[in-house]
Amino acid sequence: MQPRFKPFISLLILALALPFFLLPLLSLVTQYRFPQLWPEQFTTQHWVDLFGLQSGLSESAITSTILALSVAAFVTVLGFITSRHVAYHPKKEKLLLLAYLPFILSPVIFGAFLLYYFIAIGLAGKLIGVVIAQVILLYPFSVILFSSFWDQRLKSFEDLTATLGGSQYQTFTRVLLPVSKNIILLCFFQTFLLSWFEYGLTSVIGIGKVETLTMEVFFYVGEANVYFAALASCLLILPPVLLLYINKRFVFR
Amino acid sequence: MSYLSVKNIVKTYKNEAVVQQLSLELEKGKTLSVLGKSGCGKTTLLKIVAGLLDFDSGEIELDGNSINELKPAERGIVYLYQEPLLFPHLNVFENIAFGLRLRSLDKQEIEQRTIQMIGKLGLVDHSDKMPEQLSGGQRQRVAFGRAIIINPAVLLLDEPFGNLDTEIRAQMQQFFMQLSEQFSITTLFVTHDLKEALLVGDSMGLMEHGQLTCYQSKEAFVADVRTGATNEISFWEQFNENTD
Repeated sequence: MQPRFKPFISLLILALALPFFLLPLLSLVTQYRFPQLWPEQFTTQHWVDLFGLQSGLSESAITSTILALSVAAFVTVLGFITSRHVAYHPKKEKLLLLAYLPFILSPVIFGAFLLYYFIAIGLAGKLIGVVIAQVILLYPFSVILFSSFWDQRLKSFEDLTATLGGSQYQTFTRVLLPVSKNIILLCFFQTFLLSWFEYGLTSVIGIGKVETLTMEVFFYVGEANVYFAALASCLLILPPVLLLYINKRFVFR
Repeated sequence: MSYLSVKNIVKTYKNEAVVQQLSLELEKGKTLSVLGKSGCGKTTLLKIVAGLLDFDSGEIELDGNSINELKPAERGIVYLYQEPLLFPHLNVFENIAFGLRLRSLDKQEIEQRTIQMIGKLGLVDHSDKMPEQLSGGQRQRVAFGRAIIINPAVLLLDEPFGNLDTEIRAQMQQFFMQLSEQFSITTLFVTHDLKEALLVGDSMGLMEHGQLTCYQSKEAFVADVRTGATNEISFWEQFNENTD
């Protein structure tokens, strides 16, 4: 029975791998139109433009990196601390229910609600405003992610450390952090990626003034500039690929 | 002279009395065995003494001083769970040295005392091993070593051998008694195992429905039908009679 599935699996692998081949290829050509099977002319000009700061993509890459790193760091720290308090709270279930509320709305609608307040306090159209908006959106996500981590065993570790003479700080640094290293990294990576690929909320709160790589991709696709869209996409998938490698190589061995 | 004194402790949870007017006295270097069934309030009692649970009223004194207001870390009372709870990110050496590192002692002193303790625990060949590489009995030894190395004022043991099989359990009971004598540990030992309670305890107590009865002697404990000791003796005696 097994061989019958082989063509399907091969096709699936090909479909999944194709973008990783096609995107770099498209970023290195100038003319590649149907019904051509292979591009006529290759060029490194798009990449040269990128490093020459002419396309604006490098600024977007820097903006995206700052944004995603800040959001992931804030959200991971806040979520870790908050989820611990929620997990040991007598009304844990009700508090956790609150964390699901932001996900009832789509990020764009959520952003539209926030925009009113962000304009009022002068945060709309600024990078810090987008950081805060994304933190508001992803903070409950990290609380939910961490909430399954806190259990009776971990509470017992905390109690044991206390009776062995450990302060709260020592319990945190010598026990909780090392024990929870993997889930902290998982949360950081996930929120980094969510922030990195976020479009709706960023475009609403950024009101077109905060240009991230994801927004650049949409922009180039919108104006049918397939070569720059491919270049932007190459940059866009670099961090996920890098994170996957770090995960595989160093974290979840 | 009583070293640990617990007086009239009351603890209620959701209007239900979990511990009722509980009092006990424990001499320095001695072990008080508390026998009780599951849910009788044994763990609650230990957690209250350790400072891990609040209580409604009563007084806890250690060496004549009230410790009611002290945090768990300030009491010098170590609470050991049924599960050894070794820190999964630390090897045997670091698990045992953990309490000493919390006190920021000199590195050489930590190393010296830990090596000594590992020797006394009979774990010399295992000091670099991670917890998952140890057997149940070895893990429990490490847990004891980690607690004893900091010279605790009182050791609270919550059914420490409950997860071990019969043979290892018997070995660990002997091991505990050796350690207890060697280090003069003051211990409050709770168990639901009658034989274990009689074996390790210098004095005896019975806990039922949140109330503790302390006995003047082991004979008095055995004589009380509520402990189940008389039933146990009758059970084994019938085989003796049959053999005769």
